[in-house]
Amino acid sequence: MLVHSRAGKRATWAVFLLLFVPLFAVPLLVILAASLATHWSGAFPSGPTVERYAAATSGDSLQALTTSLATALAASVLALTLGGWAALAAASLRSRGRRLLDALFILPVAVPSVVVGLAVLVAYSRPPVLLNGTRWIVILAHTVLVTAFAHQSVAAAVRRLDPMYEQAAAGLGASPARVLWRVKLPLLLPSLTSAVGLCFALSMGELSATMMLYPPDWTPLPVQIFAATDRGSLFTGAALAVVLMTSTLLVLAAVSRIRTRASYR
Amino acid sequence: MNPGTAPGGIRFDGVTVAYGGTVVLDRLDLTVEPGEFMALLGPSGSGKTTALRAVAGFVRPAAGRVFLGGRDVTALPPHRRGIGMVVQSYALFPHLKVKDNVAFGLKAHRTPKAEIPGRVTEALELVGMAAYAERHPRELSGGQQQRVAIARALAIRPGVLLLDEPLSALDARLRSGMLAELARLHRELPDVSILYVTHDQVEALTLADRIAVMDRSRLQDCGTPEELYRRPRTEFTASFVGNANLLPVTVTGEGAVRLGDRPLGVLAETGTAAAGATATLCVRPHLVGLGDGPNALTGSVTEVQWRGSTHRVHADVDGHRVMADLRELREPPAIGDPVTLHYATEDAVLLPAGAGAGAGDPTEAGP
Amino acid sequence: MTATAATAATTAPARSRTVPAWVWALPPVAVLALAFLYPLVLVGRQSVTPDDGGGVSLDPYADVFASEVFRDALTTTVWLAAGSTVGCLVLGFALALVIAFVPFPGGRTVARFVDVFLSFPSFLITLALLFVYGSVGMANGLWTDVTGAADGPFHFLTTPWGVLLAEITFFTPFVMRPLLAAFSQLDTGQLEVASSLGAGPARIIRQVILPEALPALAAGGSLVLVMCLNEFGIVLFTGAKDVTTLPMLVYSKAILESDYPAACVVAVVNIALSVGLYSLYRVVSRRAGA
Repeated sequence: MLVHSRAGKRATWAVFLLLFVPLFAVPLLVILAASLATHWSGAFPSGPTVERYAAATSGDSLQALTTSLATALAASVLALTLGGWAALAAASLRSRGRRLLDALFILPVAVPSVVVGLAVLVAYSRPPVLLNGTRWIVILAHTVLVTAFAHQSVAAAVRRLDPMYEQAAAGLGASPARVLWRVKLPLLLPSLTSAVGLCFALSMGELSATMMLYPPDWTPLPVQIFAATDRGSLFTGAALAVVLMTSTLLVLAAVSRIRTRASYR
Repeated sequence: MNPGTAPGGIRFDGVTVAYGGTVVLDRLDLTVEPGEFMALLGPSGSGKTTALRAVAGFVRPAAGRVFLGGRDVTALPPHRRGIGMVVQSYALFPHLKVKDNVAFGLKAHRTPKAEIPGRVTEALELVGMAAYAERHPRELSGGQQQRVAIARALAIRPGVLLLDEPLSALDARLRSGMLAELARLHRELPDVSILYVTHDQVEALTLADRIAVMDRSRLQDCGTPEELYRRPRTEFTASFVGNANLLPVTVTGEGAVRLGDRPLGVLAETGTAAAGATATLCVRPHLVGLGDGPNALTGSVTEVQWRGSTHRVHADVDGHRVMADLRELREPPAIGDPVTLHYATEDAVLLPAGAGAGAGDPTEAGP
Repeated sequence: MTATAATAATTAPARSRTVPAWVWALPPVAVLALAFLYPLVLVGRQSVTPDDGGGVSLDPYADVFASEVFRDALTTTVWLAAGSTVGCLVLGFALALVIAFVPFPGGRTVARFVDVFLSFPSFLITLALLFVYGSVGMANGLWTDVTGAADGPFHFLTTPWGVLLAEITFFTPFVMRPLLAAFSQLDTGQLEVASSLGAGPARIIRQVILPEALPALAAGGSLVLVMCLNEFGIVLFTGAKDVTTLPMLVYSKAILESDYPAACVVAVVNIALSVGLYSLYRVVSRRAGA
């Protein structure tokens, strides 16, 4: 379309690959390769091994994985409830109220995650609610951080929803509660699942606030990866990172399967 | 569908709707009798859809009251009004099968579970869609979706059925089929009041028992199709319901007017204006004949359009345009030829002189 | 318009029993207030209450603003964020341009890969760069293998340049995604007409594509700017002692030094910076209709 000569196209693609491959593809491949190696002192890793995966899926590391999965699941479900509720409630408000609510729920995106961690730490290390040192403070911070994304994607989907459906349902005698349960939520299902997937992925990778908050008995995977690399075990860190990426992708794939089925109906 | 049908009848009592200071419906007074098919006809922005939405409860009147079956529903939310409604885009729920779409209103109305399948089948049979109960809306054509939307609205046995431009999304052939279908439905549902919003005069003339003509947020005229067509009361009605020649005339006496210096006759009982007053003479193009006769209009041909079975001839008569729809001519006149046209006195109606609401668009086919 | 028997039997107007819509907005707002706004307020309060003396004072601000570390962190944060944003915009625009307008087999896969990339945490990039450019990494290994030298030439990873590279790598997809969306809406007929009128690729990019992409670029750029200002994982993973950003400073003051008032002061500054910029982003993106 833009470049018509064959040589020109080839040159453009070559430049593209030269930029794209080292910047984006290589890092992920490198982590994968490192996770399977024992040494990396030359140009390429050496001493292939799968031992790190045995270690990465047992003991402390396994616990970190389940901790991350549980945290991400809890945070994304809570965030979807909170953010989705707010988005649905905002839709029936006048424009000023809707703007205010949108701005309020978008705020956690703008505030640095480290600061969210600090704020939650400051607020819940003192009475009346003492959460410091428990897993709940981690889940709380994750929920706050991902709620904004849940709210944003549900709000966008609600805006796209044709108001005719709602009105047709109300015209047929459906109460607002029935309209919500039988019409709006089923129609929003694809967006809701993709919002959950997004929140889950974000929570799985969350490090900044977690570093401020995690108790010793609730160490999510990113913290474990940092601990490994910080003490110089880069290869263990790489294996853990692969476990993190794989589990995130698996959950995302499962969610997108649900989504295609939901949108087919 | 007779047993359990909600009482019909709609009454607008001075209903005014305004959006942010702009009045979109101005003091509408209108009654639709139980079992009556009322068409709300008007151009876009005339307030007709707003009137329908006020009945459904999606807009709240700034003033006035809406009655359904004698009950004041002005303050009721839509889901407590018990109406059936079909919208332009059908709004079939894409996540539900046809039968579940039709059952939706029944469930919302807490119809006993055992009754629902029977009522669904009954409603689908009424529109000839019983064979499609297990399909999803996206597997249906536009016309089929339309039928399902009507079945869904009728399944709750409403006393009032609201149809908002239901045929506008269909192509011309399907549309004429659905017209016949809607006429049959009206015959089969003698107790249901139907309020039908359209901008298409053919639909209104074909289907309605009475037509309410709307323009610029107001009710302009209301009557049976025949009344509105033969004896329009305003220039707007005359030009919007069918085509019309509208000529500015001066009243000279009972049933006698003057176009410039040319004396013409009009149907006596419509000429209520006093002598000397200005008024508008309305005569339908297909009632204008070629050649000399009573009420002769001489001028020159400005345009000739061949329309298959007819020729439409435009003539300039003392600076006024006169259209005549003539059965196909063997030797149509040429542009610039002198021409004489005439009409029968009983075919001309005298209207109060309007603000010059545009004459019927000559390119639009008459009914 | 005759009166009917139906309307004669008028009953009293029926009342609606529904609660006003704003009531439904209260529960989520209350939860958000408790979990997020109240903690933020406490951070603000803590920032003006020094540990030693009871009353409210601005001493923590004076102390922090006077410190070398803070001023360094502030400048480092700002120039890193600005530099990364410019890098992301240039790189993202170029890559998106090729994907959208010089289509090649596998282009869709690349676009999908960009989406997947977005769902990974940022620190993975630093981790990967450690293997590529680290002291015992691939690049240095290649160098020593080829030249036989004892030490490779790449040591930038623990400097701000390493952070810059990681941030550009990680945040470029955030620019590409809105750009690809904007490009997909561009009528390709415009490009064909422009080139039939004799415009070369450079002119088409400058006069047809760039104006269309500007809103998406502005929105993506300001989002990346805010995210870079707030980035923590990348900096933490480089392990560089001489690269301190504001979020890093918040962490070290609070967790390593347990100096909460100072941490809160830095946090307030960081919030002001990011929220200010984010509001700008919202205005820009609303105007762009994104």
